[in-house]
Order: sequence, then structure tokens, then C-alpha cells
Amino acid sequence: MSLYDASAEQALRIRRLLRDWAGEGFITDEQCQHMEQETACDLRTTNIFLRLLLLLFTLIIVGAAAGLFFAVIGSATSERGAGVCLLFFAAVAYAGAELAVSRFRLYRYGIEEGLVVCAAGFLCAGLQLAFLSGRGHASWDGIECVVPLAGAAFSLWIWRRFGLTYAFLAAMLFVAVLPGYWTASRLVQHLILAAFYATGLAAIATLRSRHRSGGLEDTWSFIEAALWLGVYLVINLQLSSSLPARWLGIAGSAAQFPRAFYWSTWVLIWCLPPIVLTRGLRRKDRFVIAVGAAVAILTLVSNKPYLGWPRYAWDPMLLGALLAGVSVSVRRWVVRAPGGIRHGFTAERLSGKHKEWLNAGTVAAGLAVHETIAPVPESPAPEFHYGGGDSGGGGASSDF
Amino acid sequence: MTILVRLEQWKEQGTISPEQYARLAGLCRGDPFSVFFELNVLLYAGVLAFIGGLGLTVSTWSKQLGDFVVLTILSAILAACFWYCFSRANAWSPRETASPSAIFDYVLYLGSLVWSVELAYVEARFQLLAEHWDVYLLATAGLFFFLAYRFDNRLVLSLALSSLAGWFGLTISHWPPHQDATYRESAFVYCLIVGGAGALLSRLAVKPHFLGTYLNVVANVMFWTLLSGVFSSQSRSAWFLGLLAACGASLAWGLKRREFAFVAYAAIYGYIGFSSLILRELSDDTAILGYFVVTGLAMIALLVVIARRFGRKS
Repeated sequence: MSLYDASAEQALRIRRLLRDWAGEGFITDEQCQHMEQETACDLRTTNIFLRLLLLLFTLIIVGAAAGLFFAVIGSATSERGAGVCLLFFAAVAYAGAELAVSRFRLYRYGIEEGLVVCAAGFLCAGLQLAFLSGRGHASWDGIECVVPLAGAAFSLWIWRRFGLTYAFLAAMLFVAVLPGYWTASRLVQHLILAAFYATGLAAIATLRSRHRSGGLEDTWSFIEAALWLGVYLVINLQLSSSLPARWLGIAGSAAQFPRAFYWSTWVLIWCLPPIVLTRGLRRKDRFVIAVGAAVAILTLVSNKPYLGWPRYAWDPMLLGALLAGVSVSVRRWVVRAPGGIRHGFTAERLSGKHKEWLNAGTVAAGLAVHETIAPVPESPAPEFHYGGGDSGGGGASSDF
Repeated sequence: MTILVRLEQWKEQGTISPEQYARLAGLCRGDPFSVFFELNVLLYAGVLAFIGGLGLTVSTWSKQLGDFVVLTILSAILAACFWYCFSRANAWSPRETASPSAIFDYVLYLGSLVWSVELAYVEARFQLLAEHWDVYLLATAGLFFFLAYRFDNRLVLSLALSSLAGWFGLTISHWPPHQDATYRESAFVYCLIVGGAGALLSRLAVKPHFLGTYLNVVANVMFWTLLSGVFSSQSRSAWFLGLLAACGASLAWGLKRREFAFVAYAAIYGYIGFSSLILRELSDDTAILGYFVVTGLAMIALLVVIARRFGRKS
């Protein structure tokens, strides 16, 4: 099903590892060059910056070309005709992506990615205009779900065909809106979505056990982590229901759910993080560990709103102290083991890319963070007033 | 052929030693599995959450706690952080030096952020410097530059650059809504000073690995400044020529040093500036869309050439 040979992808993975090991001094540059010659492959790759640029300009070209087509034919087409044209563009863009890979051997090159993204967009817009335009809410009969359904199916196809893992995330998002077409009950919507993601999780777990020694471990790891996160977000009603309602300014909160369901989800958001973390640690699965840690933090953050307890200004401080404490304690515990390795885990850096990510991430965040707390030119304002929080409301009424 | 099979072959061929094979095969199997990245991210998130909560607590509970208590607590945290750093730091070296401990960088970062919170509190509460409040930013930038160079810390260097930009009247993450000549002048002076200082220190071999941080900040501020000039109503052509020169310099630097972020800056900022000039003259939808198709194709062709000649190594 994949456009790429497993051996070619494996060769690329090996070449990346070799460069990383050379950077860390595990092998010499001469050894690296020699071994790279033996892992040559015909796939064309590029670095992340050029890849993003190529993706951006591909999107601009294809979007402008489609716009140009409609600008030239003007109002000659009906909505349905425009939809058919968009479906044709989707086919052309997809064919272009296939051609870019099969003929020019592009691999994560930006161009083929831009083409499949455009194909997905045209497909959904085309289906909407060709088959569903002019249908009011009164005439809803369930066929409206064909757009997200097609979007999900196409995204899954892109994921398998082109190996683009973010296409799987797109499929998850398309699936997330599907239950809204089938039932008005928010309880049932959450249950259906959780069932979808849980089924996906079971399928991926089964597939992973078969491909344990293959070169796709990172892909499976990412997919499983995304599904765990999806399941968690669906069952955490404070995050998936109250928060979006507050942001969008629409009615709807977690408290509207039946009490039994509400408290069941509260129990589940406490049960899920240890399960995910344990699975990630047992399999030494980086993405699953990351999601396990993330959902554990989200559970701590959403616990008070769940219980209806007041939040205080110092809550983030306690959370920060807890996170830092856990990090330091775990590091010490691991380092104190013989050889600095405990149960197969080490706190030492074994890959140069981890240092690069940390440097880039923390410097960028450092530039942004400081602006939020640096002194600001407010001195002429005499009404500056410290206070609030007198009645234990966490200073919610203060006007710093 | 999996990596383990390859490694086995290379060991048998004598390309790698048995010790190297054992280590590399272990790494491939995740034995040992490094949690270095995860622990650092957790620690960094902890510091950020702590400082956010500290700022929030200080701002909302200062009336109940009183100035003395607030300042005592903040000063105590500050003193503890700096005492930890100065007591455990390695001897200074102009070269890149490793942190003496895994948490060292984050303690220094926490101390620097607490310093900012304390200054913000003092100024907001007492208005000691009143209209000269910006002196805080200059002093803070000076302190952070000293700490960054003393302890070899990129995190604090980014804070120093941000503080200095604040003193010049800039904010790095967003251009102020009232774009005017004064801001552009400030931005240019900032770029000249920061870029010049970074280059000079690098040439003097004083923490030369900081140069990348300097140049990334300077490049973005410079391009935003030039773009704002191109978008302005006066001397558009002169600003555009300046933008072209900056794009050329950024492209040349990026290709020479294989730092493709600078190639990306040149492409994106250059394209936006060029498009703004052309699109100002176009009003017809067909012409505008045609422009995007043609220029997009030209950019793709150029980028593919660059990618094929230079861009494989990331």
C-alpha cells in the first residue's frame, strides 16, 4: 500500500542514526561516511526549513490556480458545478502527489505533502458543494456526514500511502465531528467518539505487536500516542466540553451531563494516566510516555474544575514545584543506580537531536516568556492597585 | 534490512569494533533508553508553571501579604537561586562549557525570572524610577548578559536579548500596532548593536556558540523592520532595496553555513515584501491569482535547486 519501499525508508532511518551517532562521538566521521555509502537510497529528502517552504509555496500555487480557474470561468458555474470542478482538482492534485513520489522519488519534501493537503481540502469542499449545497437543516437526513467521513477515509489513505503521520491526526479530527451528525445527545457523542478511538487503539496495539522488529516503530508509537490522547480528551469533560464552550462563548458545560457519567469520567481521567505511562515505560515508547505525562498534568489541572473547588493563584506554583520535584527525583533515582542505568533507563543524553530540540525550544520560549513578566511602562497610572482575593476567590476579582 | 542486521554486518566487516557494535545495538534496542529529554522538558515546564504562579500570587495577594513579605519571599528565592549557581559554577571559560549539574541551567533561569517578577513588583508598587522605568530593562539586560556569559546559558541569553529589545522599545514577538519611523530607527540600532556585539564576541572566541542565537534574533527584527518600511507609505523603494540586500545576505549566510533557517527567512520575508509591492499595483483578481501561481512556481524552482545543491544535510 505504501508508495515507499520499506528498505528505502529503513536506509534513510539508518543514515539519520549514523549522523546522530557521529555527532555524539559514538562513531568516527570516517566510519560514518563509509557506512553511509552502504546505505544509499534513491529517495530525495531535504531539511525541515526547505521542506516547510516547499510545502507553503505548493499550497499557494495550487490554491491560487484553483482560484484562478474560478475567476476565469466566473459565475458560469453553479454551486454544484463548482463542487464537481473541485473534485476534479482533488483528483489532479492527488495524481500530482503520486507522480512526484513515483517519478521524482520525493520523500517528506514538502511538494508532495502540499499536493495531498490540497487534495484533501478540495475533496471535502467539492463534496460539500456538489452534493450538499442548498440543503437546509430541515432536510438533514444523515447524508451530511459524508464530508467528514470522506475526509477521514482519505486522510487514513494518505497516512498509509505516503506515510505522513500527521494525516492520521487529520483523520482523528474528521472522526471527532462525525457523532455530531448522528445524534444530538452530547453524552452519546462522547461515547461514540471514545469507542472509535478505543477501537483504533486496540487495532494499533495488535498491529504493533506484529511489527515489533520492523522499522515503523516510531510511526506506530506516534499513532498510539495520538489515540491515547484522543481517548483522554474525549473522556475529560472539562477539557472537551466546558473549555471549548467557554472559549466559543456558547452554552454547554460538563455539569449538563448525567451525574453518573460525569463522575465516571472523573474516575477515568485519574485511571488513564498511570495506564498510559506504564505502557509507555514498559515498551520504552517515547511518544506514549510523553502523552502519559501530558495527560497526568492535564488531570491535575482539570481536577479542581471537575470537583467544583475554587482555584487559587498559587495553584500553578504548586504544580510547577511538583513537576520540577518529580523531574529531579526521577533523575536522581536513575543516576544512583550502578552505571547510571536503572531498569534499562538512563538520564544521560544519548542523542544530539534532543539537545537541539531543547536549545531551540527553550530559547524561543525564553524570548516570549520574558515579555509577559518584564516591567512595563505603566508608571504614570496612579490607579494601579494591588488587591483582590480577599474572600478566598483566588483573587479572581483583583485588578493587577 | 534492519539496523541491527546492518550493524552485525559492519562488525563482521571490521567497520566498527565489537564495543561499538554492543553500544550501538543497545541504543537501537532502547537499552539503555534515555529519558534525558523528557526530564528536561518536565523541569522546564515546572519552572515556567512555578514562575507563572508566583507572579499571579504576588499580583493578587500582595495587599494581604504586604510589601515586606512579598519582597522578602521574592528576594529569598532570588538569593537561593543565585547562591546555588555561584557556589556550584565551574571556572569561567570563553569556550562552551558543560553545566555542573543537570538542574543548574533551570535554577539560573528561575532566578532570572524571579528577578524580573521582583522588579516588575517594585516598579508597579513604588514607581521608584517613574518615567525612567526603562532603566530597569537596561539593568536587567546587563545582568542577564553577565549571567549568560558567566554560566554559559542560552536560556538567559534569550532573556537578555528580549530585555534589551524592550529597552529599545521593541517587543520581539509582535510589532507594535503603531508602526512608525521611531520604532524602525530603534530596531535598526538594536540590530546593529546586538549583531555587532555578537559577531565581535564570536570573533574574539568568547562563547562563539552564542552567535546563532544573536543572528536569529537580529535577522527577525531586521526583516520585520524592513518589511514595515516596505508596507509604509514613504520611501518604499529604498526600504525594498534594503530588504533585497538583507535577503541576499541572509541567503548567502544560510547557504555558506548550512543554516537553512536563514534561507527560510530570506525566502519568506523577501516574498512578502516583493508581493506587497506588486500587489499594490494590481486590482484584478485574475492578475493577482496569476501572480501567485507564477511567483509560487518560481519560488519552488529556486528552492528545489537550493535543496538539491545544499539542502540534504539538515
